Amino acid sequence: MSGASAAARRGDFWERLPEPLRPREQERRGRGDLRRVESTLLVLAFLLFAVAIVNDVVLSTHVATRITADLRAWRTLTGHDYHNISVEQDLKGHTTRDVLCGNTSPGPPGALPQVCLIMTGPIVHGTRASHGGFYLAPFTPDKRINRYACFGSAVAAGLCAAPTPTGAPHAPVSGADG
Amino acid sequence: MSPEGIAAPASRGGLGPARAADGSGTQRWVGALAGVCTLVLLAATLEIVLDAALGHAPLIPRSPEISAWLQGVGERLGYRVFLIALLAFSAAYAGMLALAGRLPARWVIALVAALNLIVFAGPILLSTDVFSYIAYARMGVVHGINPYLHGPHTIKGDEIYTYVGTDWLRTATAYGPLYTLFSYPVALLGLKAALWVMKFEALLASAGTLVLTWRCARARGIDPVPALLAVGANPLYVIYGLGGAHNDLIMTFLMMAAVAFTLAGRDAPAAASVVAGALVKVTAAALLPFMLLSRRSGATIIGALAMVLLAALVSFPVFGLHGLDVVAALNRDAALVSTDSFATEIAHLFGKPGVFPIDHDLLKLALLVIVVHLLWRTWRGYDWVAASGWTLLAIAVTSTWLLAWYTLWSLPLAVVSRDRRLLFATLAVQGLFIAHQTGPLFSPVSVS
Repeated sequence: MSGASAAARRGDFWERLPEPLRPREQERRGRGDLRRVESTLLVLAFLLFAVAIVNDVVLSTHVATRITADLRAWRTLTGHDYHNISVEQDLKGHTTRDVLCGNTSPGPPGALPQVCLIMTGPIVHGTRASHGGFYLAPFTPDKRINRYACFGSAVAAGLCAAPTPTGAPHAPVSGADG
Repeated sequence: MSPEGIAAPASRGGLGPARAADGSGTQRWVGALAGVCTLVLLAATLEIVLDAALGHAPLIPRSPEISAWLQGVGERLGYRVFLIALLAFSAAYAGMLALAGRLPARWVIALVAALNLIVFAGPILLSTDVFSYIAYARMGVVHGINPYLHGPHTIKGDEIYTYVGTDWLRTATAYGPLYTLFSYPVALLGLKAALWVMKFEALLASAGTLVLTWRCARARGIDPVPALLAVGANPLYVIYGLGGAHNDLIMTFLMMAAVAFTLAGRDAPAAASVVAGALVKVTAAALLPFMLLSRRSGATIIGALAMVLLAALVSFPVFGLHGLDVVAALNRDAALVSTDSFATEIAHLFGKPGVFPIDHDLLKLALLVIVVHLLWRTWRGYDWVAASGWTLLAIAVTSTWLLAWYTLWSLPLAVVSRDRRLLFATLAVQGLFIAHQTGPLFSPVSVS
């Protein structure tokens, strides 16, 4: 069968459809309205994405600045210049309250008792205030049943439920004890 | 893009003496600007590659040392240096695109070749995916484990294991059986040799994509020089796509082969190419319905079915039915969420911590509406290449798992399509992606 006759037969088949449903080789001229609508939607989508990205960059910058201030405060208050400090943000409540935990003495991250400080408030002179905290036993997640020796605002908030292990560090951190 | 850029080859000016339509003063300015942009592109690429050659850094995955000979010049690659280099690259790319209509073809070809070769010579950049490719190959060839059923955690004793990204250790391969079979021979090589083969494959696929982009542009009466530049000097294409030796480049090569075959009136091999692309990475299947609607030829259906049959015959004995179960892989990937996805960013904009299951459903619905609209337009004569490109872009934008190289899928199609809005939209999405990476530039220097 020749290509031309096959094409003709295909053409016959599609010709049976009503004109608005028939396939076309090229778009009809005068589709300017559709193009305008599409272009407008594209521009609106672009604007939405652009605003969302600027918002995301600003948010992440604020968070990074805040966490830097938190880390500085933790190091200053505990007197330990450690690098492995865990930071937990309040992702559910969307507040700027962060909890930072790090070792009470040199050692592998999390392998020793942890001192945790609750950071709140604005950044002042590159650091933030802490008004409370607690301790965690080695290798335990930050949950109420694992926390002990609360001090400062953590006492009133009832954040601790575990007894202080014998011989474990438990002294309130000076400057963060409310 | 200059108005005379991609769309109108007849109005191109140039730097060489053969194209003396512009005044010599303008020519000098164009030459000087193009020279500066070229230097910036080369310098930014060199900076990234030389710094990355020093080894593991936050942006550079742990890797066997394959480019030790480049060490000693750079410093360990940090976020700031990388982002500044990426922004400089992007700005120079934009400048070159604006001038592309006046640049000599040789200049652009030499620049694109140099960028590709510099990245090829360096280490693996910005992604651990290539180690997953090798791990899946070694699972099948060395350990006799079906990579469509298990993740690389099943080969803990293998030397590749430590290099696979932690997120993917328990993930079975999501790639098509053609690619998995194609990658099996590298399992017989040492790790460094396997990496070089993977890099070489990516380089060849890139070169093939670029050659076909050139040919398709010319066949459609589009100036091939800006088209080549738009793809081959694209920052995400060069740094992320080629730098990471991603198999997306093989997929784009097969997609462009399909376009080239169609333009040559060879519908059967065109459809077979699309299916082959989908058997590398299933995303390429997005082209098939538009090709079928546009061509409306039996040869298209026969070509597609023949390739499916061939793939089934070859892959079934090796992988069983699992190698062809693309729906399972798609469903699994659709549930992933990355911080770079537009869906996540919009969720943050509206005060939500991230995307929820309902958002996944809404995004799928939005994608469905877009695809149906494009199918209808293609039926009524819209350029099927553009419709395919829009669909690939829509898949990337509505995905909750967006990675840099996903924004490359629509790029080669965009430069040869008859709808210039697609190129603008693709570049805009890429620009937004890059803008989203810049957060660390505004953050305090030390966040440890």
